[in-house]
Amino acid sequence: MNFIKRGFLGITRKKGKSLILLAVIFILGSLISGAISIQQATSNVEKSVKERLGAAATLELDWEEYDKLSEEEMMNVELENIGLDLIKQVGELSYVKYYDYSVSTWLGSESIEAYRGDMEEDFVHHGPSMDFMIKGINYAPVLDFEEQKGKLVDGRVFTQEEVDSGTSVAIISKKLAEKNNLQVGDTFTLANAVYTYDEETGEEEIATSRDLVLEVIGLFESQTIKEDVGADSDSGMIDWMDMDYQNTVYVPNEIVISENKFQYEEYLKTDEEYAEAMEGEEEASFEYYTPMFVLNSPEDSEAFEEEVLPLLPEFYKVVSATDQYDSIAGPMESMSKLSKYVLIAAVIATVLITGLVVLLFLRDRKRELGIYLSLGESRGRVVGQILIEVMVVALIGITLSLFSGNFIASQVSDTLMKADNNNSNEDVIYYSELQIDLTTEDVMDTYEVSLNSNYILVFYGIGLLTILISTVIPLVYIVRLNPKKILM
Amino acid sequence: MILEAKDLNYYYQDGEQRRYILKDTSVSFEKGKFYTILGQSGSGKTTLLSLLSALDSPHSGEVLFNDEDIKKIGYEKYRRNNIGIIFQNYNLIPTFTAVENVLIPMSITENEIPEDTKSVAYNLLDYIGIVKSKADRPVNKLSGGEQQRVAIARALATNVELILADEPTGNLDEEMEQEIIDIFKKLAHEHGKCVIVVTHSNEIALQSDQAFLLKKGVLASYE
Repeated sequence: MNFIKRGFLGITRKKGKSLILLAVIFILGSLISGAISIQQATSNVEKSVKERLGAAATLELDWEEYDKLSEEEMMNVELENIGLDLIKQVGELSYVKYYDYSVSTWLGSESIEAYRGDMEEDFVHHGPSMDFMIKGINYAPVLDFEEQKGKLVDGRVFTQEEVDSGTSVAIISKKLAEKNNLQVGDTFTLANAVYTYDEETGEEEIATSRDLVLEVIGLFESQTIKEDVGADSDSGMIDWMDMDYQNTVYVPNEIVISENKFQYEEYLKTDEEYAEAMEGEEEASFEYYTPMFVLNSPEDSEAFEEEVLPLLPEFYKVVSATDQYDSIAGPMESMSKLSKYVLIAAVIATVLITGLVVLLFLRDRKRELGIYLSLGESRGRVVGQILIEVMVVALIGITLSLFSGNFIASQVSDTLMKADNNNSNEDVIYYSELQIDLTTEDVMDTYEVSLNSNYILVFYGIGLLTILISTVIPLVYIVRLNPKKILM
Repeated sequence: MILEAKDLNYYYQDGEQRRYILKDTSVSFEKGKFYTILGQSGSGKTTLLSLLSALDSPHSGEVLFNDEDIKKIGYEKYRRNNIGIIFQNYNLIPTFTAVENVLIPMSITENEIPEDTKSVAYNLLDYIGIVKSKADRPVNKLSGGEQQRVAIARALATNVELILADEPTGNLDEEMEQEIIDIFKKLAHEHGKCVIVVTHSNEIALQSDQAFLLKKGVLASYE
């Protein structure tokens, strides 16, 4: 009849009290379990969504800050460009895995047709056709492919030599290639046209044009555009995004710079007003690069931003892919906050209520504890016996509440997120170079209340520690007395 | 001499004043004898028994067990291995059966106990007058006399030489009282134990081998 056996006998012989304790622990445990479930699920969502958003960052003009200026201030402010030196300086930071800088333009074509997807019939041209986005690159393996925005399915990526020398080679989408019967090794022609606007007729006419002949060296497929977008509110936008990406032509930066330079020079010739306006200006630069930095991990975003901000010219900001999370995770954030408050309240309530129940439970047992002490039992074993009784009941209660709390959390969060999402009108996709077709729906789809080992460990840890504290404190208060004081 | 109390002092602090319950109390006890300590309510007899059984500690003085200070032995260890205590209100664990109550000290003591503790517990209960059918009942289903017998069996379970009892017959009728006293006499005279009983009953004191009277904190022989 050692203290362990006495502990177990105590549970079975006092069924009523054991059941009351079990019920209290089960109910409060379900609250704690539910709150931890939601906390874990929201933090998993944040982690996985941020991973999906990627670890990319770019430098952009902060128009919001600029718009805060008065008209007078705007006149006096000269916005600087992000120079190549600064891009390279930032690119050398330890947080950066690799980086690229890109200059882009839009061109049309007489010889190839743009990919229109399912919108072929609806497509109506207003003005000149500039269907192809010519995206310059400096990073030869193509950053978009490394970051899984696209995937090379045929041919090869650029060589550094092609990039440096501005060779007329291109990587186009497989869908665009299929539509125009192009294959790796074929060439195609884009037209770099300069238009004039006839104010009388209101029409635009080609003033001059030159051909850009490019050799297809590779074909890519889009990796981020969803196949089953369905009929939600974002589907139209996503179709356009898909179409733009399918009509993107990757070329070395030098090609784009050359085409931009041609356009500029031709505009000066054809547009007198423009030429007058530009007279006396420094020689125009055609190197308006958009930088893109891929960081080692999404978690580096904040530190990267802190280090880069002081290097930037006025009115520039760092935009990270993970920033998008904040704009689409509204329901998740409110859920996370709610669960945090519930968790704190539940732990406090559990300590107080369990402490009170155990105290009442022990008040009846005070004499019994005195008897054990009078028989020479050590204080440690007396505490141990009661702890066994309480902890065994707690373990059963916590195990049951693990499942019930998880179930309740799943039901409650479903209801709350649906309600929150219905009330939210901010379901807008953040638009920038870093744009990924991720919506609030996606975030909510990633949300999953489930039992994982980490959650189970945290819950048992918090649960048992709470019960342990609320049992040991009154127990120690009793057994520190000498047996005479307890018994007489 | 199995047990000796030397110059025990025990008092309650009442403001500046000390209210002495025991003052310079000395007494000694031998094996094989049945002792009683007589006194009126509030005379300090229960306090004396508490000090002799290490349920409480004196403000000064010492209690020697086989010439060793029980403080040095360790109060807990002394209670565990050297004495058996019987209380007026039995102090049994109500949710356990009689035999389970007897088994408790057997699992606590470091004294040598036969391996088959359950048989020993049943035999002890049988010797004290509790048959097996009653031994398996929860103690709160037994009469007062039966519960006190269980308490005596529990005190004997660790095979100790010193039994201390605080008003063991206080809640029993006369017939039952005599039966319990007979058991104590038998334990002292036939089994060589030292039995010390605190009581307010002259009848019991007259049956003991030696009686002491505690009055106003001072202990004296009672003839």
